[in-house]
Amino acid sequence: MLTVTHSFEAERPRPAAVALGIERLRVEFPTVAGAPKVAVRDLDLSIRPGEILSLVGESGAGKTTLARSILNLPPSPGRVAAGSVRFGGVDLLQLAERELQRIRGRDLSMVVPNPRGELNPLLPVGDQIATIARVHLGKDKKTARAMALDMLRAVQIPDPERRMKAYPHELSGGMAQRVVIAMALVCSPKFIISDDATSGLDVTVQAQILDLLRRLAIERHSAMLFITRDVGITAHFCDRVAVIYDGEIMEIAPRESFFLAPRHPYTVMLLAAFSHNPRLRRGWTVSEAQRRTVDAAVGCAYADRCPRAQAVCRRVKPPLGELAPGHFARCHFPVERS
Amino acid sequence: MTILPYIGRRLLFIAPQLLGIVLVSFFLVKSIPGDPAVLMLGPTATPEAIASLRSKLGLDHSLPVQFWIYLKDLAHGDLGTSWQTTRPVLEDLVQRFPATLELVTLGLLVAVLIGVPLGLASAFREKGIIARIADFYGLGAGALPDFWLALVLIFVFYTLLQWAPAPLGRIDLAVIPPPPVTGMLTIDSLLAADWDAFRSAAAHLVLPVLTLGLVNAGPILKMTQSTMEKMLQSDFSRYEVLCGIPHRLVVRHALRNALPSVVTIISVLYGFLIGGAVLVEIVFSWGGAGQYAVQGVLNSDLYPVLGFVLFSAIFSLFVYLMVDLIYLAIDPRIGH
Repeated sequence: MLTVTHSFEAERPRPAAVALGIERLRVEFPTVAGAPKVAVRDLDLSIRPGEILSLVGESGAGKTTLARSILNLPPSPGRVAAGSVRFGGVDLLQLAERELQRIRGRDLSMVVPNPRGELNPLLPVGDQIATIARVHLGKDKKTARAMALDMLRAVQIPDPERRMKAYPHELSGGMAQRVVIAMALVCSPKFIISDDATSGLDVTVQAQILDLLRRLAIERHSAMLFITRDVGITAHFCDRVAVIYDGEIMEIAPRESFFLAPRHPYTVMLLAAFSHNPRLRRGWTVSEAQRRTVDAAVGCAYADRCPRAQAVCRRVKPPLGELAPGHFARCHFPVERS
Repeated sequence: MTILPYIGRRLLFIAPQLLGIVLVSFFLVKSIPGDPAVLMLGPTATPEAIASLRSKLGLDHSLPVQFWIYLKDLAHGDLGTSWQTTRPVLEDLVQRFPATLELVTLGLLVAVLIGVPLGLASAFREKGIIARIADFYGLGAGALPDFWLALVLIFVFYTLLQWAPAPLGRIDLAVIPPPPVTGMLTIDSLLAADWDAFRSAAAHLVLPVLTLGLVNAGPILKMTQSTMEKMLQSDFSRYEVLCGIPHRLVVRHALRNALPSVVTIISVLYGFLIGGAVLVEIVFSWGGAGQYAVQGVLNSDLYPVLGFVLFSAIFSLFVYLMVDLIYLAIDPRIGH
């Protein structure tokens, strides 16, 4: 590769190379026994401006904890024990609550699943969208309502004028999900976190919502952390894919490389689980969740379930090594291309 | 809106509901041991005199027949006669029920004014000083009997400080009560523009109202606090926080969701206090409806008891209708 220096002809300021940078983030949940349970373990992750990064993992892998910890609101009773979240030149974890409040929902917003539970049942949805515009952008009532209406149009809700006055219980799940997206995007945030946003919807609606979310993110030049349990979704959706297991990134790679040449055994298993190829499925079945014998602080968290695990995996934690350009995997015995 | 047919439908149901209440309370009261005829005539009465009084009172009929007669009288607006006051029950109650209503309504108002703001404030800052005061207060208010608190208040504000008037009724004996319109002395004296009467009536209200308010603020405070906490921990409040909505606004939105529970506890207390304020009435010689009914029970004076039950049933049904209308206004999900 050729490196060229054009320090003199930089016409426009170079955008910050990182939209959101998570460094050595550690989130712990206190336990009765004493030693806290680590939900997110010294996790590093950076997302470039305009990039859509997909984060895949099974239930309990720490996806939601990670998402909420980015906004410094880990699910109770968890707490951020260490690390930093760089966003717009500041560390979000060091900010005072008041300053965080100004960033949440305006520059950095979140789309959540189960939208009907996340919307206030007693307020018309139009008001709920408009409230965010009023709070964050200082718009007056009328302008905010106009913005809310525009937003309902943008998320393609039919008959938006009438829906402005609708209450959450009058909307279908898909429609409510669109409202939540409208709430998250009304301030055109620089960064969107989508936490399993389509999990409760049927497949056709899911595809529409994903399309919409992707299009809106690209239109608004927003970067996005797209969290899902469904590895299949990510294939059509993102620029890069990261796999999280037990609070750690196991593999992270550009989309093509991830699907064509997965390196981590866990990734292969995840892909096999969604695959229709019987040979692949037979070869990589998910082993029963056994009792935890590996100390994740010392060895590989996945060693208990890994068909390739050797003695060393239990003793030495593998580093997240770069196996191909931009393709990292945390494994002593990465899968070679077959 | 569909609100008028709804009210109409509800009112339609009130008649059978009242009939059921009258039926149950009639047979319950009748099952209290004690023969009114014996009590009325005293220990020296002859059996013949008792028998003749029994037949005069209609006590020699079977229970269902007695009930039928009572119902027929009710239909003509006759609630029977109290043998203690020797006056028609309706007259007695028309005089006494407003006294209780005035006391209870103002007491509850004070309870709401104490309980709701304290509950809100403690939910607003869960670990703040107000939250701790509220916890302590909730505990204390639940443990204090109202008559005891009334006696303490009388001791402090009447006996020691002499700020309050003597706990003997609703108005000074020297003051001429205003002509009855609503039966509530404060309102009637205002209507008559009689300031002396108003001052006296209001002064007499202060201690009993304070007693009821301080005691009943406890449950209202607890309900406000716990419902608010639940609402602030619910998904929609958390999402509002995630969206960067200021705490003050999050609390305000949660309050609206908590309101139905608070309204419910207030309405339950309201209905309950009509009879439940009787100890406070006794301590302050209030001459209210609760006192009247209790004397009726103790002396086998059947009709005042039944009349009281009927009055408070009508009142409760009215309160619950109001509550349902409030729900309707708060929660769009109930509309249909």
